[in-house]
Amino acid sequence: MTNAVAGLGLAPDAAMVTFPIEMFLPGSDIGPVRARKQEFYDGLTRWRSSLAGAGAGEPPMLRVEGTSVEDTFARANHLMLANRWGDGLPLWPPTRERVDWILRGTAEARGRRLGTFPPRGGVTTVESCAIALAMAGGRPEYLPVLAAAVEAFLDPESGSETLQAASGSAFPVVIVNGPIGARIRLNAGFGCLGPDPQRPAGASIGRALRLLQQNLGGALPGIGTMANYGGLRHTNVVFAEDEASLPAGWTPHGTERHGFPSGTSSISLAFANGAANIRRRGAKKETPEEDARQGMHRMADFMRVPNMAGLAGYEHGTPGILMIPGVVAQTMVGLGWTKASIREFLWEHSRIPAEALRRAGGPAWIEIDTSKVVRESLVLDPWPITAQPENFVIVVAGGGHPTNSYWLQGYSPGVVGRRIEPPAAFESLLAEAERDLGPA
Amino acid sequence: MVRLEFHDPSGAIEVTQAHAARVAALASKRVGFVSNEQWQAYRMLPLLKGLLEADFPGIEVLPIDAFPQGNAVIGSEETAALVKASGVDAVVIGNAA
Repeated sequence: MTNAVAGLGLAPDAAMVTFPIEMFLPGSDIGPVRARKQEFYDGLTRWRSSLAGAGAGEPPMLRVEGTSVEDTFARANHLMLANRWGDGLPLWPPTRERVDWILRGTAEARGRRLGTFPPRGGVTTVESCAIALAMAGGRPEYLPVLAAAVEAFLDPESGSETLQAASGSAFPVVIVNGPIGARIRLNAGFGCLGPDPQRPAGASIGRALRLLQQNLGGALPGIGTMANYGGLRHTNVVFAEDEASLPAGWTPHGTERHGFPSGTSSISLAFANGAANIRRRGAKKETPEEDARQGMHRMADFMRVPNMAGLAGYEHGTPGILMIPGVVAQTMVGLGWTKASIREFLWEHSRIPAEALRRAGGPAWIEIDTSKVVRESLVLDPWPITAQPENFVIVVAGGGHPTNSYWLQGYSPGVVGRRIEPPAAFESLLAEAERDLGPA
Repeated sequence: MVRLEFHDPSGAIEVTQAHAARVAALASKRVGFVSNEQWQAYRMLPLLKGLLEADFPGIEVLPIDAFPQGNAVIGSEETAALVKASGVDAVVIGNAA
């Protein structure tokens, strides 16, 4: 990690002595410490920061020239990749014109500061979001969603300061509630976690967030983030809850978790480190009750794992996000289940027997946790994977088909909500989208 | 020729505080360790403590556990206050991986 100290307000250099990972493993040869002792001594005595100045300076605009549009576009993309600003897919160069167009999606001043992106500490503004969204192929009407997601990401409660750099491959999950989801063509139905030319908003917004994580936050694989796998990081996860399919009596996630009035456009951000499709439906002649109960057991079985990273959200965050199709939620409600009873069932049946936890070395992680609630949970047998049933995030999404549900395993110290604030001229942006993309 | 001008997406870095000043020499100085107790710190930091004590006459190196240890506490204001109150001239922080 060569730049994390910048996130603390220090110059982005520091006196460090670095070694290959092998020396940090159990039973390693630590002789290199002796061999390189002078580097430690120099760090305490002779080292000087190469950056003596203070304050923030805006980088200059970049210029490329080519023999044709195609050549110039390629040169711009090569330049961005060479500077480690890309993700391997084609980027839209964030020209002044393009960024100004994206900025029509907000009433905020372009220079309004949203925070600094950890660990590198890049100053994050509304304009930063527009630049990333332009690179990601986004549109102006996506900007209010991205800005809200960035604000939530930078909220200390999200845990992003640690998760951005950690090895656990956490990726942000952004759940959108309220009317804005459908209006900007954000998917809530079939294939809502993947690309969709009919509903392209999620891929662009998620990719822009990832570009911000990398370009402002410095989360370059193996340099700024030690994420072993970096799963789902091309576009992160951005989808809308399928509110039209909520069973009677179920409140939208943003209302339930964050208290936003129903009908409020909002985002909810959590972090996950895994994703599993669960074959929920039965295969033979199950009664409706058996089908529901067996599916619930199967979901709980997927959750009953020693996800030690999940301890980060044990008390206030979430063990994960369970996505169920609307038709399943409606069927279960018809059978007498409530969201609360579903959570109770999952909490009870995902508990891990103490012996299984012990043989996997779980108690050591629990004992060193910062949370007293986590440490004290060790006496419980079977051990619950989260402090309380309410911590499970359950959302309705995924299309009108009953076979599967989806579990986004949590690595999430908090679940952070933000209202989405579209500009007054939002309707005209949607009309432009209709013109550009055809009917929604 | 076709020209294209676009924003540098890496943004600005704001520097608000300088790094701590370095000591001129380590002899007769007081040095502390702040350990997260991870990544073999329990072996590597004592080795470095011994090396410092052997190489610099009059140096006082505080015990590895002189300050609170563990990822959960080493970044806290309380730990920083304890380090300052201890009167150390220099601090080594370890281990990250």
